[in-house]
Amino acid sequence: MNHSANTAENLFTPPPLAARDLSMTHGRRPVISALNLELPPGKVTAIVGPNGCGKSTLLNGLARVHAPASGAVLLDGKNIHSLPSREVARQLALLPQDNSAPEGLTVADLIRFGRQPHQGFLRRWTEQDQAILEQAILSADLAGLADRPLDTLSGGQRQRAWIAMSIAQQTPLLLLDEPTSALDLGHQIEVFELIRDLARQGKTVAMVVHDLVSASRYADHLIAMVDGQIIAQGAPSEILEPALIHQLYGVHCEIYRDPADGTPVLVNLRKCL
Amino acid sequence: MNDHAVANPLASSALVPPLTVAVFFVVAAVFASLLWGAGPIGPADALKALIGQGSEEARFVIMELRLPRTAIAVVTGLALAVAGALLQALTRNPLAEPGLLGVSGGSAFAVTLAVMLGASSATLTTVVAQVGALAGCSLVMLATRSRGLATDPVRLVLAGATVTGLLLSLTSVLMLADQRAADEIRFWITGSIAGTPFSHLKAVLPSLAVAGVLVVMVAAPLAAMSLGERAALGLGHKPGRIRLLVLVAVALLVGGATALAGPLVFAGLVVPFIARAIGGPDIRKTLWLCLPIGPTLLLVADTLARIIGAPAELPLGVITALLGAPVLLYIVRSGRMPTL
Amino acid sequence: MFQLVVRHRNLAAQLGLVVALTLAAVASLIFGTVAVPLDSLMDALAGQGNAIHRFVIHELRLPRVIAGALAGAAFALAGCLMQTVARNRLATPGIIGIDNAATAFAVASVVGTGISVAPPAMALLGAAVATALAFGLAGANGTRGYRFIIAGLGIGAIAGAITQVMLSRVAIDSANAAFPWTVGSLNARSTTAVITLAFGLVIGWVTALLLGRSLNTLQFSDPVAINLGTRLTRVRALSLACAVLLTGLAVAVAGPVGMVALLAPELARTLCRAGKVPLTASALAGAVFMVTADMAGRLVLAPLELPVGLITAIVGAPYLIWILVKPTSRSLT
Repeated sequence: MNHSANTAENLFTPPPLAARDLSMTHGRRPVISALNLELPPGKVTAIVGPNGCGKSTLLNGLARVHAPASGAVLLDGKNIHSLPSREVARQLALLPQDNSAPEGLTVADLIRFGRQPHQGFLRRWTEQDQAILEQAILSADLAGLADRPLDTLSGGQRQRAWIAMSIAQQTPLLLLDEPTSALDLGHQIEVFELIRDLARQGKTVAMVVHDLVSASRYADHLIAMVDGQIIAQGAPSEILEPALIHQLYGVHCEIYRDPADGTPVLVNLRKCL
Repeated sequence: MNDHAVANPLASSALVPPLTVAVFFVVAAVFASLLWGAGPIGPADALKALIGQGSEEARFVIMELRLPRTAIAVVTGLALAVAGALLQALTRNPLAEPGLLGVSGGSAFAVTLAVMLGASSATLTTVVAQVGALAGCSLVMLATRSRGLATDPVRLVLAGATVTGLLLSLTSVLMLADQRAADEIRFWITGSIAGTPFSHLKAVLPSLAVAGVLVVMVAAPLAAMSLGERAALGLGHKPGRIRLLVLVAVALLVGGATALAGPLVFAGLVVPFIARAIGGPDIRKTLWLCLPIGPTLLLVADTLARIIGAPAELPLGVITALLGAPVLLYIVRSGRMPTL
Repeated sequence: MFQLVVRHRNLAAQLGLVVALTLAAVASLIFGTVAVPLDSLMDALAGQGNAIHRFVIHELRLPRVIAGALAGAAFALAGCLMQTVARNRLATPGIIGIDNAATAFAVASVVGTGISVAPPAMALLGAAVATALAFGLAGANGTRGYRFIIAGLGIGAIAGAITQVMLSRVAIDSANAAFPWTVGSLNARSTTAVITLAFGLVIGWVTALLLGRSLNTLQFSDPVAINLGTRLTRVRALSLACAVLLTGLAVAVAGPVGMVALLAPELARTLCRAGKVPLTASALAGAVFMVTADMAGRLVLAPLELPVGLITAIVGAPYLIWILVKPTSRSLT
């Protein structure tokens, strides 16, 4: 592990993360079958699809939380399950949906955990760790909140604290599972903009997003899933068509462009008859 | 009637076959309990005694010892089974069991305290047991009302088990401190109906009758509560009042059973479990099926307690624990935890 | 800057607990049916002075205090590990059946069922069997979630019933000999068991410390812990093995003493800073708790001696009830 390549200023080239013929099951029920995927480096990828289409399962599979039934997830060309877990943790950070923290844990405590994959058996907290911790607090706009217990923060602040932990983990790859669920509109935008800033610094980001409009606004690359299969992928403005929406959610709609930035906006949504 | 008619799930005809079988089992268990015992009176002698023949001794053993004991087992089994079914429906938790949730424990502790303070009449013991049961029940329900517990069956059971252990420890202290009281309840506290006098049964019956009326009152609303409290509210029930009535009924039943047989674990778990397996999740069906199955289980357990260690007797509580724990493990083992 | 505060707070907590343990131990040596004044105590410890005092201290109280401190530390450390692994503060070895199974096995060798294995070994075997069974029955879920705990509960109930059966089937003398095994008492400790426990405690404590950083990540959900590079299966297996070792050996010394495993880690968590699993502080708190409770058991109803297990159970009551009725029950997770 090259530590000098790991400082915040450095524009790292992320190792490619890919799925090859990936199949995953939930108990015995197949959720994802023979899926192939490669995350575009340095870009924000959003995974969308109806409930139960396997998007969270896919994300957890990519983050080696669940083992595949067959096929493999390749990190830099190597099977992710054959790599030491700690080494993967220096390459890839996951922000899961269920992220409860112990009572009384402060923001700084939480972010400090992000340095754990970088600490050796004897190597404890260093000056560099401290600098990265402080940098992460600044990037996530948490200055002044560092010593506050997480349970006293608002939902948006808490989510930024978790993202700050991933920032402190200093991984070139960042996976997020519905990072804005349960946040109000203002907090959603806060979090999405933070994520976009991280991608601009060179990280490869993949996130599961529920809301199609936010997904197309903040993602460079969209992956649409139905029944454990990718049915379309590409730049949001190119692939978002009424036909795709119909395939995904079974509704009719028309697509307009946001006059400000050209983002697709869905209007006149209605149920199919 | 057209083709879309939905069968009435409570149609009485659906319950007749399983109930008939269950009643047959009760009768068989009653006979087993009368015919087999730890003493020298064998089944043949016992049969003769039942129809008024046989030796004086055999008639005494059957009529004065085994018959009352059998009656007590029937009532205890009934009370615990119904109480278990009610608690499980109320907490929507298949593991909620009076023995595990501190209800029996509270009852046992209260009785020990009363005996230590000099109480001896059966009526008083019953009342004390029921008050103790109510206290145990209330503790559990307070816990259930607090946010996390209502939705998490395990925390509830874990908390209940800890409270039970605690109450039994306190009971042990009382027994250590007062040798006389300890001698009086030593066998009862492990769960046993061997020494229960018939007069206790008479003292318990009125309160069980009250509990029966309460059960009839709450059965239908409780079925609605299985959809969740808000849904029950939407259907026009008053969840607060139903909960209170159920608690009082459970306290009367478990307190009565504990006064008769000591704290028995798992009887209230096994019986409703079997009843649900036969009749499905509706609490009204479960209650009907509990009526014959509860006594059957207790009779079988009590008969086993007499036979296994003959000529000595095993505590009944040990037998119910040995019968019940595997069912607990089975529920745990069987895939997803079913919610009620 | 941040981590200096952490170190100081946790270090201060541990030092405070060491002081408390010393005080509790000295008090235990002084008070009792024969009071030994402090200066006589010093003489007696140095092997001088009054013969009666020397006897009381060396033969009766000192071994008992040592046994209590070791057993308390072992129970508490096991509890802390178990709670962390199961992510549930109520998931202590006592509650999930390990104590009971260890007791059942130990009683089997005490009451003469023809098993001639030493009680500590039997207790250890019982603890291991119970944990393995709980694991097996919990299936693929492992220690996560409810199955493990409920399975343990059932196993505990069966073990308790079997202990009762054994005790009701043997002659009254053997049953009396086995009684301390069923309630938890420091009365029946054997020197071999205490020495075995001392070794076990050192092994368990060192292993726990080595696992410390991984254990810290178990305070989060599984995906977060995996994300931080923790090898869940290995950490869980090792922690459980430690908990089994500690509980089995402690039961062999003191019987099933409940609540220490629940309360001591709780106290340690309150004293220490959030975010770290307080392993050493738990062990120290357990030792303090056990020594104090045993002293209370000897003094409260003197000359009648209450078993330490009953004292800990009663002291635990208010705390547990508080957990149960607290409107927000976050502390259970």
